[in-house]
Amino acid sequence: MLLHGLLVDLVPFTREFHEEKMHTFWNNESRWWATMGDNQPVTRAEIKRMNEERIQGHERGYTGIHFMMRARDGNIIGSAGLNWLDYWNRYGMLGSWIGEPDYWSGGHGTDALLLLAEYAFNWYDLRRLILFTMGPNIRAQRNVERCGFKLEARQRDGGYAGGEWVTSLAYGMLREEWQGRETLVEQFNLRERAEKRYGALD
Amino acid sequence: MIEGKLVDLVPFEDDYATYLESWMNEEAWFRAHLWERREPHTEDMVKKFIEKMEKNERGALIGFQAKNGDPIGCVIFDHEWSRVRKADVTVVVGDTRYEGTDEALDGLLMLLRYCFETRSLHRVDAVALTFDEVKFDMYERAGFAHEGTLRQHIRYDGDYVDIEMFGLLEDEWPGYETITEKLGLQPSGLEPKPKLEKKDDKDGAKDNDKK
Amino acid sequence: MAHSTDSGHPLLEGLLVDLTPFDKRFVELEHKWENGPAAFWGDMGDRQFFTRDHLRSRRERNAAERENDSSPAVTFGIQTKDSTPIGLFVVAYIQPAFRTAILGAYIGEPEYWGGGYGTDALLLVVDYAFDWLDLRRLWLVTMSLNARVLRQMDKVGFTMENRQRNATLADGTWYDIVMYGLLRDEWPGRAAMLERLNLWPRAQATKG
Repeated sequence: MLLHGLLVDLVPFTREFHEEKMHTFWNNESRWWATMGDNQPVTRAEIKRMNEERIQGHERGYTGIHFMMRARDGNIIGSAGLNWLDYWNRYGMLGSWIGEPDYWSGGHGTDALLLLAEYAFNWYDLRRLILFTMGPNIRAQRNVERCGFKLEARQRDGGYAGGEWVTSLAYGMLREEWQGRETLVEQFNLRERAEKRYGALD
Repeated sequence: MIEGKLVDLVPFEDDYATYLESWMNEEAWFRAHLWERREPHTEDMVKKFIEKMEKNERGALIGFQAKNGDPIGCVIFDHEWSRVRKADVTVVVGDTRYEGTDEALDGLLMLLRYCFETRSLHRVDAVALTFDEVKFDMYERAGFAHEGTLRQHIRYDGDYVDIEMFGLLEDEWPGYETITEKLGLQPSGLEPKPKLEKKDDKDGAKDNDKK
Repeated sequence: MAHSTDSGHPLLEGLLVDLTPFDKRFVELEHKWENGPAAFWGDMGDRQFFTRDHLRSRRERNAAERENDSSPAVTFGIQTKDSTPIGLFVVAYIQPAFRTAILGAYIGEPEYWGGGYGTDALLLVVDYAFDWLDLRRLWLVTMSLNARVLRQMDKVGFTMENRQRNATLADGTWYDIVMYGLLRDEWPGRAAMLERLNLWPRAQATKG
């Protein structure tokens, strides 16, 4: 099952992602933003181990659902998904990571976030979505706020990134606050932005 | 291989495993596996599914292909209950071009032939989402009776939807020869897909090195 | 209410029965129940011969499956008000993504059949499934020969949704498998059902 967006599609992970892209993404600046400041080098062997653990995790009842993010030009640029699905309390934690800096600020992350939120509400009937970012990540804060997420908690000195203590920000959105993907696509001019970058949409 | 009128049943191997990676992410898959979570199926999940079905003593995953060898999809029987000789049957038309064709119907008929005439089942069960008219039509032509509706049983793209339940009994099955004759199956005449390139050609590369 | 040391802690308290953890006392009795008349009705006509070993390994297998499964289950023991274990109740195949579950139960001691004990337990479990597990639909499966359960389903407000013709064999005859469903908005709540089914006076009479 594919989630078709305007700038990105969310698709199943391929071998290329696990064997090639992960090594790149985990060792460039993108990781620092996505993980709140982690930046120690990661070897191929460690990546391989992580992938094996991921497969086992699924068997042990890990509830997360993850997608590979593919830009309209066919490039694999990152991942996005529900890092955690709490079925009993009906909330899910979103996470996304664009590993190719060339694709930052282009609306790709927003497009993915809209697809994910719609997917989570429509297929899993969740009541609430949450996500976390850190103080220095102004871009992420702007993005999630205009999608309807509300800042619910500021955890002071919640993380250590780039040699200093940073605030960890907890965001939440209730189902009734979600305006629906179509509305936000209009509001953010995502169609025009996608056509400008990748040509006419079919 | 078991040969039918428009399709043949074959072991689920070779190209089928590769095709299943895309089939398991198609809408048709999720419509046939109603109880499953709607999530992207990665290569290792697909592999695991095939392994599970290979070990499954109460069911099997079987490929079906057109007479020209073009793989169409898979037929599955599962949860075979030996005491009352009953099983669930599912047809997944992976190559969506074949949706609603007589090849797809013949896939179901061949599965029924296998269930009744080889495995000696007493009854088979089938399900469909309430708006899946292509499936209703297929079940009806195969002789199934609509037996009931499980209300709001599944969440589907923003709504809870009903599941329609169908059943077919051994003594209602006229036999494969009779029913295919009666239905007058017609081939769709679809061109076969281009052959898949070998995905993992590490072994092939080694062979080349030797040369 | 006084409890002796080997009586179960009531998790859900009814009028005639309490639901407790499926503790040792129930495990001990499982062998008798699974080989007795209740199993014939519970398994839709099957009569199996279970050894203690067989039941133990089945329990272990179920426990292992539930631990790593995304469709968990909850098992209760049913005991009378004087702490006599009489049966079990399972909320199984919980599908969190759809918020549905299947119910399964039996009263293992035939002398308690027809006394309202099963219905009392059912009302407790339905309330529990909707209010605590936040499910939106419950369903269950029985065979058409089981007139007692068919009547009970009617009384409690389940709808017969499906009838699989000749789907199970009981003592040499084919019977239908019938499936019942109950949606949350059809459920008036346990208190209302106790009134409607007149269970209060029955409980008074049983207590003497």
